[in-house]
Amino acid sequence: MENMVAESFKYMILGMGIVFVFLYVMVLVLQFQAKMIGKYFPEKPADKGGETAGVDKKKVAAAIAAIQHHKNLRK
Amino acid sequence: MKRSLVAALLLFFTLFVTGASADEHHQPAAAAVEKSVEATHSENHDKSMWQLLSSFYKTTGIYAFTNPKDGVVNGEGEEVSKFHQSWGRIIMIGITLILFYLAIAKGFEPLLLIPIGFGGLLANIPMANMTSDHGFLGVIYNAGIANEFFPLLIFMGVGAMTDFGPMLANPKTALLGGAAQFGIFGTLVGAAALSQFTPLFDFTLQDCAAISIIGGADGPTSIFIATKLAPDLLGAIAVAAYSYMALVPVIQPPIMKALTSKEERVIVMKQQRKVHRLEKLFLPLIVLGLSILLLPESTPLIGAFAFGNFAKESGVVDRLSDTMQNALINIVTILLGLGVGSKLAAEKFLVGDTLGILILGLVAFAVGTAAGVLMAKLMNRLSSEPINPLIGAAGVSAVPMAARVVNRVGMDEKPGNILLMHAMGPNVAGVIGSAVAAGVLISIFN
Repeated sequence: MENMVAESFKYMILGMGIVFVFLYVMVLVLQFQAKMIGKYFPEKPADKGGETAGVDKKKVAAAIAAIQHHKNLRK
Repeated sequence: MKRSLVAALLLFFTLFVTGASADEHHQPAAAAVEKSVEATHSENHDKSMWQLLSSFYKTTGIYAFTNPKDGVVNGEGEEVSKFHQSWGRIIMIGITLILFYLAIAKGFEPLLLIPIGFGGLLANIPMANMTSDHGFLGVIYNAGIANEFFPLLIFMGVGAMTDFGPMLANPKTALLGGAAQFGIFGTLVGAAALSQFTPLFDFTLQDCAAISIIGGADGPTSIFIATKLAPDLLGAIAVAAYSYMALVPVIQPPIMKALTSKEERVIVMKQQRKVHRLEKLFLPLIVLGLSILLLPESTPLIGAFAFGNFAKESGVVDRLSDTMQNALINIVTILLGLGVGSKLAAEKFLVGDTLGILILGLVAFAVGTAAGVLMAKLMNRLSSEPINPLIGAAGVSAVPMAARVVNRVGMDEKPGNILLMHAMGPNVAGVIGSAVAAGVLISIFN
């Protein structure tokens, strides 16, 4: 090996270059993928529960009222 | 072994015979034993008590440690110097005891240092020759380390344990995992310069590459590369890599603090978005696809890693991914540790190179950390979203230790500023980055 330092310097340029190109392309692909998946496979909205909870509250209130009414009648 | 057993038997019968009747030398029972002994070791015939004792003494460890001889060969048939037969072995046994202490009392990577240390202890036993091709450690070494098999199985298990969610949530931070690989290549240049211009070290370029991979802070990758490029240095490289990984909480914080300002350390990062399941499922395929296109040399490492991760994220083979994460990786860790330990034999470890490897490994680690932090500083300046430069230190692939250290330093500066998940992104990207760096080195030297 004539000049190890020059040689290793070239390896460094090549190595860091490849590592960055690899990761950069990966980042681009991942960002693209996130966009595509977000568009075509949207997560089902998880906060659907809010509305049903509202309905439930009304029903629960009605049920309590009905039971209370029934009890009152029996007295 | 056999001879010492026979000697012990003979000793017993001789005592019996001399005690019972002094003038009768050939009792029937004793004669029968002597006959069978004669069949295997004719030279043992008719020995006096003293001769027996002295020949037994020559088979003891005490004799081997105190009377080094010329012409003793190790498992690979290389001659072992007198120093390495006596004090060398004793020093190495002392070093393995230190490794046990660090693993047990200090909690330094005990899963690896205990098997490596014990392998080293066994490798330094005189006469037992456990590192030879037919010895216990030699068989393990040839079965899975000489052919680079065990590191790949470990990588598979690491893949099955890794959650890429944090990286997917903020892909840009993956670049930090690339910056930290400067520890590898920067040290490569440094080691080459020191070997060429100073009489301090005398490493070849292959050796330099194998040593500098310690900067990737990735045990299996280091072992993989060392076996390929510089098998003689394997023991020292593996011990250095795992020791420094264990020392991450000691080595990294001062570097992180020196390179960042107080204002930078208290930066709060945005809450991460939720990652879709499909993104995680596709990730191992994307990474593997890229390495097929750009760097097929790295596909053994990345392929095993991607397989493990794919099995985990597929969600339908929990049994397999569970085996890879637990049973398999545990078994392989035992074998890998013992096999690497076999390279801690005195004649391999107690050489000038080892000190060089330990020093250069530490430099590689520190440079990698620094490069990650500096890159994170740069990204913080350029990016619209705030990035805490501390997370750059997690770009070295010691998962999850480096990310935890980042989290702790962040919490010290500003209680409640949880950086753990943000640091896991560069951390897992660092695993990919160091595998890619390894692939580059392999492709250069092939």
